[in-house]
Amino acid sequence: MSYQTTSQFYSSRRQTNWNRNQNTVAFVSSVKLGPVAHTVLIALMITVLGLVYLTQATRATGYDYEAQKIDSQIAELSTKKGDLEVENARLTALENVQNSNVAKAMTTPAATDYVR
Amino acid sequence: MQLSFQKGSRSLILGGLLLVMMAIFVARLFYLQIIKHDDYVAQAAAEQVKPLTIPAKRGLIYAMDGEQPVQLVMNQTVYTMFVDPQTVTNPTKVMDVVRRVAGGNLRPNIDKLIAKKDTRYQIIGTKLTRQQAELIKKEELKGVGFQEMSQRVYPEGGLAAQTLGFVNAEGNGQYGIEEALNDRLVGHDGLLKSVTDISGVPLTIGNQNINKPAKNGENIALTIDRNVQAYAEKALAAGLQRSHATHGSVIVMDPQSGKVMAMANLPSYNPAEYTKVEDASAFNNPVITKPYEPGSDIKTFTVATGLDRGAIQPDSTYVNTDSIKVEDRTITNATKGQTGTITMQTALNYSLNTGMVTVAQRLGDGKNITLDARRTIYDYFHNRFAFGQKTGIELAGEQPGIIISPDDQEGNAVRYSNMTFGQGMDLTMIQVASAFGALINGGTYYSPTVVAGTVDTNGTLKPASPKPSRSGVISAESSAKLHEMVHTARATFYAKNDKPGYDVGGKTGTSQTIENGKYVDNQTIGTYLGYGGDSAPRYVIMVEVSGKGLNLQGNKDAMPIFTDISNWMIDYLKLQPRG
Repeated sequence: MSYQTTSQFYSSRRQTNWNRNQNTVAFVSSVKLGPVAHTVLIALMITVLGLVYLTQATRATGYDYEAQKIDSQIAELSTKKGDLEVENARLTALENVQNSNVAKAMTTPAATDYVR
Repeated sequence: MQLSFQKGSRSLILGGLLLVMMAIFVARLFYLQIIKHDDYVAQAAAEQVKPLTIPAKRGLIYAMDGEQPVQLVMNQTVYTMFVDPQTVTNPTKVMDVVRRVAGGNLRPNIDKLIAKKDTRYQIIGTKLTRQQAELIKKEELKGVGFQEMSQRVYPEGGLAAQTLGFVNAEGNGQYGIEEALNDRLVGHDGLLKSVTDISGVPLTIGNQNINKPAKNGENIALTIDRNVQAYAEKALAAGLQRSHATHGSVIVMDPQSGKVMAMANLPSYNPAEYTKVEDASAFNNPVITKPYEPGSDIKTFTVATGLDRGAIQPDSTYVNTDSIKVEDRTITNATKGQTGTITMQTALNYSLNTGMVTVAQRLGDGKNITLDARRTIYDYFHNRFAFGQKTGIELAGEQPGIIISPDDQEGNAVRYSNMTFGQGMDLTMIQVASAFGALINGGTYYSPTVVAGTVDTNGTLKPASPKPSRSGVISAESSAKLHEMVHTARATFYAKNDKPGYDVGGKTGTSQTIENGKYVDNQTIGTYLGYGGDSAPRYVIMVEVSGKGLNLQGNKDAMPIFTDISNWMIDYLKLQPRG
């Protein structure tokens, strides 16, 4: 089996199918990689991509734990706020107000005048 | 050089075996990953994807404090404390700590519950506060856990208990507004469906995550004014103590809008401790659930009908002999002695049954309560005043009452003569008070309501759409005449009880009760129906007192409660005296 070299291919192409704006010079690397090297490189790329994926996935999961922690804090603060609102409502309930020292010190007005 | 295995060599056999094994693996993997794909994905999802319910918060209930909404029913997070007896390593310490921190919330015999080593879950305390739960958690007791839950709390205690109702252990509203508006209050739970880690923390991986937020229930503001409600309850309690009545109800309404400002009943209960109530009838709100024969309060409606139909005027006269015959029955007056030619105003002042029967006769041919007269009365009572039908108030358990049509066999002249003075029909207080508002406000019937609107998260009130109203129930002229007659009826005898310069009017009612199908004289219900205001009526108050085997009178037992509340309302509403 024989192969046509790249330069030979382009050379013949130039002669037969030359077109405007078509590359007329091709880079030919002097480094030649065999099939084993190709396989190793592909395996390495897959490994690197896998590691990148794992890193990102782990980082996202880490955010989940942060979010969960913040959610818990929000829930706890919300509960505390609710407790304070209940306490506030109890302290300002009519019975408490009526029994307060301020209310007890109040007196009924002797007379009421109206502005007409 | 070409490599080839020797025929029958061990390498060839080994290669063949490997090929077969690989084929088996491939086949098995094909089965697991292709054929059983969906099954295993479902199993994995069931294990990893956890659906978590996000509970919706039940809406709060507000009352009014003048123009400002104030919280009447709130939610509070409380904790149920449980133990896993098999995990508890130091029962003595557990008991010491929980008794010290939450002694009042513990179940009896917690030592026995903790000692039940054959079980894994025993509740040892309920309704612990957050502070109590945190203090116990700090002790790091092994085998002790907490379950969070929400419960209703009532900062004003038992105020307006029957209007509010309560929420049962299943989270459903029972009685009052809690039951009637349960769907609006309850909200909708949300759903968080997500892949979780081993400790249940949701993770944002996978494509099956659902995050549907909870929709909290609406915060409902009532038209109930907490100050009016508190005073009405106080005045009712004092009135019952004076008269030794065992049951009583009061309703205070705004006749210009139909808004209920107070609805008080005794005996009552504390909704926070509804489980301790022994007599479940305490949950009912008799103002809307207990139809009864309203008695002489209804005479104002009979007079209004006569005025509106032109059958009578306030100064129209008739000859009172203290009795009047209707078919084969003789109807007598409870108050005797006002005999001779008297006016309809006098008949109303003295609450004379003969005067009311005369009105009914004049609605017919002048001598008899004809079918036309009965149809007219029915049209006014049922269609215009909305007696005998539910008012549509936003409270659970409202009863329609009964009013017999003249086309019914029982709707004869005798029944309709009784109806003119409040017998022979069963009405609720809410029906009577709402219709009375129409009689004195110029003739517009406002459907009663207890819902002022909704309150947003900032505490701002968004008013509810007005409920339907009907104008022309009676003409404005008839309303003005009746207004003056009712004022005169009160002023004739009780003017000294009212603050001078204000427009206050009312009518007493003393209703006989029916025992074993017959009217009895030794048990009566006392009622008072009246209004107060300045240049226009600002409030309607209806009072009812009753008790087993008690003779309670409208003027003696119910009216003082009206007077007490009425005089207080004048100050509270800052009404200015006329003139």
